[in-house]
Amino acid sequence: MISSLRQRLRSIPRGPELRKMIWEMIDNRVRIITAGLSMKELRAVLRGDPPTEKPNPRYKVITTSFIAHLRPRYYPLGATWFTHTFRLGWMTTFFFVVEVLTGLILMVYYIPFPDQAYGSILEIESNVFLGELFRDLHRLGAEAMVLFTWLHLFRTYFTGSYKGARTFTWLTGVALLAITAWLSFTGYLLTWDQLGYWAITVGSSMAESGPVLGPAMNLVLRGAPDIGTGGLLRFYLNHVILFPLIAILVISIHYYKVSREHGISLPADIEEGNASDQRKKEANRRIDLIPDLLSHELFLTSIGILALLAIVYFDWFNSPLETHANPQATPLDTKAPWYFWWLQGLLKIDPAKILENLINPILAAPLFVNMGIKPLELSLLLNSKFIMGLVVPPVVVGLLFAIPYIDRNPARLARKRPFAILWGIAWVFILLALSYMGLPEYGIETPPATRVIQDLAPEEGMGILRETPYEELIPGIYTVGETNPEEICGSDFTYTSSQTGEQVIGCAHLVEVFTEYSEGLLAAEEDGLLPDLHAIMLIERYGPDLKRVGLDVSWTDEATGETKTYTKHYFLHAERSLEE
Amino acid sequence: MKRIHLEIALGTLFVIASAVLLIIMASEEPARLARFEVEQRAEQIEFGALVFETNCTNCHGSHAQGIPGKAPCLKCPEFFSDRLGEVGWGGSLEDYVVSVVTTGRQVSTRPALYQGEGTGVPVMPTWSDQFGGPLREDQIRAVAAFIVNFESWAAEPEAPEAYPTPLFSVDVNDPIAVGRVAFVQYGCVGCHTVEGLSTATTGPVMNGIATRAAIREGYESAEDYILTSIQNPGDYVVEGFNDGVMPINFGEIISEEDLTNLLAFLMTLTEE
Ligand code: HEC
Ligand code: HEC
Ligand code: HEM
Repeated sequence: MISSLRQRLRSIPRGPELRKMIWEMIDNRVRIITAGLSMKELRAVLRGDPPTEKPNPRYKVITTSFIAHLRPRYYPLGATWFTHTFRLGWMTTFFFVVEVLTGLILMVYYIPFPDQAYGSILEIESNVFLGELFRDLHRLGAEAMVLFTWLHLFRTYFTGSYKGARTFTWLTGVALLAITAWLSFTGYLLTWDQLGYWAITVGSSMAESGPVLGPAMNLVLRGAPDIGTGGLLRFYLNHVILFPLIAILVISIHYYKVSREHGISLPADIEEGNASDQRKKEANRRIDLIPDLLSHELFLTSIGILALLAIVYFDWFNSPLETHANPQATPLDTKAPWYFWWLQGLLKIDPAKILENLINPILAAPLFVNMGIKPLELSLLLNSKFIMGLVVPPVVVGLLFAIPYIDRNPARLARKRPFAILWGIAWVFILLALSYMGLPEYGIETPPATRVIQDLAPEEGMGILRETPYEELIPGIYTVGETNPEEICGSDFTYTSSQTGEQVIGCAHLVEVFTEYSEGLLAAEEDGLLPDLHAIMLIERYGPDLKRVGLDVSWTDEATGETKTYTKHYFLHAERSLEE
Repeated sequence: MKRIHLEIALGTLFVIASAVLLIIMASEEPARLARFEVEQRAEQIEFGALVFETNCTNCHGSHAQGIPGKAPCLKCPEFFSDRLGEVGWGGSLEDYVVSVVTTGRQVSTRPALYQGEGTGVPVMPTWSDQFGGPLREDQIRAVAAFIVNFESWAAEPEAPEAYPTPLFSVDVNDPIAVGRVAFVQYGCVGCHTVEGLSTATTGPVMNGIATRAAIREGYESAEDYILTSIQNPGDYVVEGFNDGVMPINFGEIISEEDLTNLLAFLMTLTEE
């Protein structure tokens, strides 16, 4: 035993020999960890020097490392020109990673049960160190990811990069669009506030409208006829386990296709245009993943992180949190997130109405009437929710999938595919128009008094009434058409703002609120919508540091001659936040 | 300088900038958390006030001042100083409120003051949705925050804020309009239905009272009967109702002027 140990000790070299041996041992370890780079090579990589060995050890990383093998060894330079990809696909990946990391942190604190979910979000904002930051990052990252997915889709469409060998890449891309949409949709419910609850209730009610399988689909989705404990849990599991896994898988395939199988496309003018030879040569130069592309991507990462942090720090973005979900009370303006407005807009189109309006005037002609043909009644046949919610979106997705097969034109240059380019531009406008129609204000008639008050102080969100400093809420009765807004308080009214500590003269906020209130109502009266208008704003003390603002409108209903009233009460506390 | 060097330099700068931002945010975080908590409490109180206004004013009065004979004042000094001792509650007042509201009260702890509508009907119903009531736990917590918030007024009962401005905008020279407001403010709405104003059933419906009052026997006039009913409810007990439910001290509480206005208002409620 001992003698063999002694023997081994004796075989260890000394002096420079030993140093060399240790160096080799370390170098070996480094090669294993970096999957192929020696110490010397690492140094060269960091300094931007050419490879130190042959064959290029930087390429070895890509064949040996599992994660790196999703990437190519090099691209042709032209494929990575900023004006070609705009880094949109990369940005989408970046935001996906942001979502995964911030999501893991939020998951530690979030409780997916209806009676605790909302409270746990409040807890994250009020009791978790940097909790609000993580919530904001997660929400901001989600919106950015959806946005960049769409932009990336349009980029690959307009550069014709879905053609030929890249058809499959496009298909996985469309799947990713759907996955991204579903991830954001399921996440929207989790806050369990009025905003999320009703947006998701309206959104998922589309499933119910389907024939035969509709109710069953609804049950699978919601776990019960209405969204409750079961529904929240299902959405939660979809959001944090199932779809992140699917997304990781499909993104990996997408990446693999892009990098290993056929690379990123070259700009069309290089491939088939009349770019100068010099430009073509430049475009075909290699750009290695290690170190050039990798350092570029790290650079983009640093920009992304700084941008995200700055946006949150300077309060340019705040994750909304409305009041607790209430299945009994539909809020006045149910609002989907902006990236689903197009769908909301779609749902406002009633195909039955449109067809009836088109056909019935013709059927009213004496010829048809004499033949005993009655005007069409299509609303039973063509349920708008079903058509617009369940038929149209899958058709759109199907069309997206089919684009490489429909568009058989092999050319990629915009000049050579004018129809495809116009078609793409038309789609941009269709999406924008539908999104505009999806705004809560569009096409939904709210009674004038309700509208005016809702604009002053929406059921969910802030509005100028809630932004009024507590001190300016001077108790009193202010009558529309009688009280002159300018006379609510003179310049002798001053207060020290409890929010900023500054001395404020007058009550500009209150004046603004009352002016808007009066002008809105008086305009409606002038239009004949509110005859015999009588409206007041009543401010009174209701508790310590608590005031009640009552908005009370009455008018005569034209049709019945009855007096109608609409009253809303708001409670405002001295320490409430005046910002969203 | 090659592009890669520029990018490494700028990237390092951005990472440092991000770290600085993060450190600034972290150093401001304790203050933000504290502020958020204060604002959160403020918004909870606002929300509680709304819950109170929609669910509780029928019995506890429009401003939580209580309705004699119907339900107690929830902002008066006694509630804050004596009540916990009276019922032998060991925890905080806020928890007491949460517990009472959650379960309601089958019978009053002060049966002489609050009889309710007879056996079988709780004097205060159960509010928690755990027991079939309409309110969620967060709503009950909010309403408790709202009630406990009254403490500073209760400690200073003379504080001018303790007297709210009137509920509706009315012409102060119109006795009928002012009487209508008094009917709300004195809590008559807690027991009596007046079409368009209240829907309570503890006492008789008030519509048609002017016509009914005129034919009650033993009174000089309709006015005489109504006044007596308010000041001395036991003098004539309406069939189907119990004596002692309508409070007997309105005669002392209500000012001469308000009484005249109330009467003027009730006299407009004739049978069609
Ligand atoms: C049907 C009438 C009624 C309604 C509605 C009602 N209460 Fe009560 N409440 C009572 C009565 C009666 C009592 C007194 C019970 C007793 O004396 O034990 C009471 C007692 C209380 C108490 C305990 C007071 C004390 O002095 O111990 C609180 C707190 C309270 N109610 C809060 C509420 C809240 C909050 C609501 C609205 C969600 C509400 N009540 C709605 C009738 C009502
Ligand atoms: C705690 C419940 C309660 C409150 C509060 C209350 N009442 Fe009554 N009231 C009753 C009951 C019960 C009766 C019927 C029994 C009786 O006549 O004493 C009644 C009867 C009356 C009658 C006679 C009705 C008739 O049909 O003959 C009048 C008038 C009346 N109340 C007016 C008022 C006015 C005015 C107020 C407010 C100042 C008021 N009440 C507050 C419970 C109440
Ligand atoms: C989660 C969503 C997605 C991620 C993370 C993603 C990521 C990427 C990345 C990193 C690239 C490399 C080129 C570049 O950066 O532009 C790429 C290329 C591509 N993507 Fe996506 N993508 C997503 C969604 C989509 C969608 C919705 C489509 C279209 C339906 C799409 C179609 C394509 C195509 C066709 C290419 C090849 C482009 C070329 O060769 O020029 N991808 N994707």
